[in-house]
Amino acid sequence: MKNLFRNRWHRWINRRIPRSDLQSFSQKNIFILPTGAGAVFGLLLFIMLLTGINYQNSLIYLSTFLLGAVFVGAMHQTHRNLSGLELTLVQPGEGFAGDDIPFRFRLKAGRDDAIAIMLSSEELGHAPVHVHSRQAQDVSLTVHSAHRGYLRPDRIRIETRFPFGLLKAWSWIRPVSAGVVFPRPVPAPEAFSTVEDGEESAEARSVDGNDHADIRPWREGDLSQRVLWKRFARTGQMVVADWEGEQGSPHWLDFNAYPGADHELRLSYLAFLVKERGRSGARFGLNLPGQIIEPDSGPAHVSRCLRVLATWGEERPRDAKAETHGTRRRRSGRSSQVIAEGQV
Amino acid sequence: MSFLDRLRSSDADSVPATGLPSRALLWLVGSFALLLTPQWDRLPLWLIAACAVLASWRWLAQYGRVRLPGRWLKTGIMLILISVYAATVQGRFTVDTAASFFVLAVGLKWLETRTVRDFYVLFFILVYLATVNFLFHQEILWALVTFTGVALLLVGLQVLNAPELPAGMTSGWRRLGGLFLKTLPVVVLLFVFFPRMSPLWSVPLVSGEARTGISDTMRPGDISSLAQSSERAFRVTFGGEIPPYRDRYWRGLILDYLDGETWRQGQTEGFRPLGRVAVDGGVGPLESEEYDVLLEPTDQRWAFALENSRAVSDNVAEEMADLFRFRRPADSPVRYRLALEEDADSAEQARGADLRRYLQLPREGNPRARALAGELRRSMSDDQLIRSLMARFREQAYYYTLRPPAMPDNGIDTLLFDEKRGFCAHYAGATTFVLRAAGIPARVVVGYQGGEPGAGGDYLIVRQYDAHAWVEAYLDGRGWVRVDPTAAIAPERIESGLREAVAEEGSFLENDWASPQRYTDVPLVQWASLQLDRINYQWQRWVVGYQGQSQMDLMSRLPGGFGMRELGYLTAGIVGAGLLIAGLISALQMRRGERRDAFRRVVDTWHRLCATAGVPVRHGETPSVLASRLAKAEPAAADSARLFARMVNSHYYSAGKENDSGYQLKRMRRLLATMKRQLRRSNSRTGRRRD
Repeated sequence: MKNLFRNRWHRWINRRIPRSDLQSFSQKNIFILPTGAGAVFGLLLFIMLLTGINYQNSLIYLSTFLLGAVFVGAMHQTHRNLSGLELTLVQPGEGFAGDDIPFRFRLKAGRDDAIAIMLSSEELGHAPVHVHSRQAQDVSLTVHSAHRGYLRPDRIRIETRFPFGLLKAWSWIRPVSAGVVFPRPVPAPEAFSTVEDGEESAEARSVDGNDHADIRPWREGDLSQRVLWKRFARTGQMVVADWEGEQGSPHWLDFNAYPGADHELRLSYLAFLVKERGRSGARFGLNLPGQIIEPDSGPAHVSRCLRVLATWGEERPRDAKAETHGTRRRRSGRSSQVIAEGQV
Repeated sequence: MSFLDRLRSSDADSVPATGLPSRALLWLVGSFALLLTPQWDRLPLWLIAACAVLASWRWLAQYGRVRLPGRWLKTGIMLILISVYAATVQGRFTVDTAASFFVLAVGLKWLETRTVRDFYVLFFILVYLATVNFLFHQEILWALVTFTGVALLLVGLQVLNAPELPAGMTSGWRRLGGLFLKTLPVVVLLFVFFPRMSPLWSVPLVSGEARTGISDTMRPGDISSLAQSSERAFRVTFGGEIPPYRDRYWRGLILDYLDGETWRQGQTEGFRPLGRVAVDGGVGPLESEEYDVLLEPTDQRWAFALENSRAVSDNVAEEMADLFRFRRPADSPVRYRLALEEDADSAEQARGADLRRYLQLPREGNPRARALAGELRRSMSDDQLIRSLMARFREQAYYYTLRPPAMPDNGIDTLLFDEKRGFCAHYAGATTFVLRAAGIPARVVVGYQGGEPGAGGDYLIVRQYDAHAWVEAYLDGRGWVRVDPTAAIAPERIESGLREAVAEEGSFLENDWASPQRYTDVPLVQWASLQLDRINYQWQRWVVGYQGQSQMDLMSRLPGGFGMRELGYLTAGIVGAGLLIAGLISALQMRRGERRDAFRRVVDTWHRLCATAGVPVRHGETPSVLASRLAKAEPAAADSARLFARMVNSHYYSAGKENDSGYQLKRMRRLLATMKRQLRRSNSRTGRRRD
């Protein structure tokens, strides 16, 4: 029963507040109610009125009315505090599963100052910020992540209780853009890539990746493929690049290297390795079923790999899924209205 | 409370001790100090001291100088203070003691104000403390102090809710002021129209402390101590002429039983249950014979009235012996209305049984006075007897003095024959004694005599030093007649007041240094004090005294019959309309905010133009995309559309546009006009082709 009610309520809110990275607040989507303190204040006013009646005291009547008017005025103030404000999701965050992922929002005040604005998602909140009229301010809000994949908070709550804390006005933004949550790194066991380096790639790598290999004099038994012939031509010394792995290629982080492990666990191993490689600055490639990233190095590469690990097998959340019939109907209605206006 | 936790952690660096912003707490402490001041004369000294200590403790703890007490210490302090309180009040339960306890509770709360929640609790009880203040003080100055205290609280709340807002204090005041001004009309309307019901239940407000004022017993010397007080007793406005000074005898109560040296009331006034009666003092303009009294609280049911008055307002009733009584004790200022009558009581004949008690005397004492009475009795009629007694006071060397000597034994004899120095109470008592001894029914009347005009001269102020005692004697065929020995001894007292009567002695208000009445020779002081009194008088009559019946009267002057129910509807209407209007205004402001952007309006016109041309704007489309679509549909307007789109872009997305925005706007408008012309021309061409 309670659940039913809550579902209806959420559906109703979702209809009122369509998914969007930009939300501007107005009468349409601001909710306002007294806080607990506000309710007690109402009770206090009632007691004051009783006192005034019983003692026939005009000044108590007067102060009751004054404070009552202040309460009503505060309602407008609190509402105006939020109204006209624009909230934009500037940058959805990235991070490892289980961490709090920072999302960057921009608050832009309208005609009125927006004072003591608080953003919150579920239990995580942000300290109140003040945005003066026609100015903008960035706020970073952390969102708790449970598992890897796309992280799109269902609702981010924006709330203000200024000026007196007797009333709270709130609304939500339901962002379209999603953050990316990387798999939680789990130290990987020793494993070898099943990917064989092709000749060319070994050649190519040996040329521009000298610093990754130990170079030692030629010994008997070394494969002739390993001899750096170019250097031999230049210097006359037979040197061999000694790669780290003997079998397969250490450059390749491979999804298939951990037979028996759960898919998510494999991704966690890989995330760990990516992170490790990223730290040491080593070159590596990533081999996932259906997706291969050629070996490379550098922070951009690392984050690309992590992102691929995060979203492997996941589907990007779509707008259409979140939208209900109501919204769609309204949107089409609006466009027809534009046409109608145009014809006048 | 997660929000509160958040709030607390947010300003954790600035306030490590208790989690409350110091500046917010400062406002609360300031407000507490301000709200206590109206009660300083009422509260016991130890309570004020305790409150000061507790609030300062909290204040010092905020800065880490001291620590807030732990649970045991706190309980100990609480127990000690409450037992001191219990010892002070000794089981009396009145609103006064309850209010003191409330103050104590506020003081103790300071020690456990740690969280935001406590802050709100403190806020609420301080607001109620302001309400309690109004029970005891309704003068305009105290009202201003109390309202200021409440304003401080509201500023404090703003600081609490936005602690690190720069210039939070000034903006807080400005915001509050704006709020106040905007809501003032609704407050005034509510004040005027909110139905004033009669009390739902009645709690006496009688305070335990003694008030300055006359009492229901009179020992020689009682009234002379009252004469040292310049506190206001009441103020009177007359509908017609203000009666001359010598006729301003304000009768309060009758003392007809002599008990040794003390005059008492022979019949105690019966106990009356407190009625749920509106304290209402009559309404409408004063008729020429009517007068309107605003009495300061006395905690008694006595109403003071001129001779030959009748009650006009409902809150007073005439009781035995032409005295007026309130229906409930005057625990707050009371306004009532009476009217003067032409000699209404002349035909009144008292029965013998009723008169007998006005002849009561103690069995013994004052033999010389009794002898004097016997001697006078022998030769004269009642009328002559009284006259010769007055002549004796006038002709012999009797003195009217605020410093009478002590007359312990046979006081009346001593006064009449030896000392011959006394105050009105002495002479009134002695005269009644002699008249009774001579067989003439007589009684002591206590009240006030005189009253000086207030600023503007349109009302009288009667002060405690105008307290007076005189005599009434019963004469056959004439009823009760006023006999005032003071008038014979010191005519200035009756003609122009106590100040003149004791001018030589220099004893006027000799113990009351602070009283402005003492400094009548300084015109500025006198002027200021009278002006202040006038403002207060108007305030009390029209704002404080605005009660049920005055409201009904006001309403009855409006067209259409206004009853309680209509008032209720009206109030609901006012509140509803106020809310609605405020909502509309804010919605309009919002709308205007959008409209004010001229660029936006121009762009809207362009969108409409495009739609007319068959290229409706799509959601999220950029101006240049729209322009190119328009160009495709209407090649004639292609150039102007592209240029327009570029201008829109440069307005919204390039910096430094503010300086020539007016010019740019003009260009855009001109461009729009051009575009419109081009579109129309191409339309007509295609139309012709279609034909």
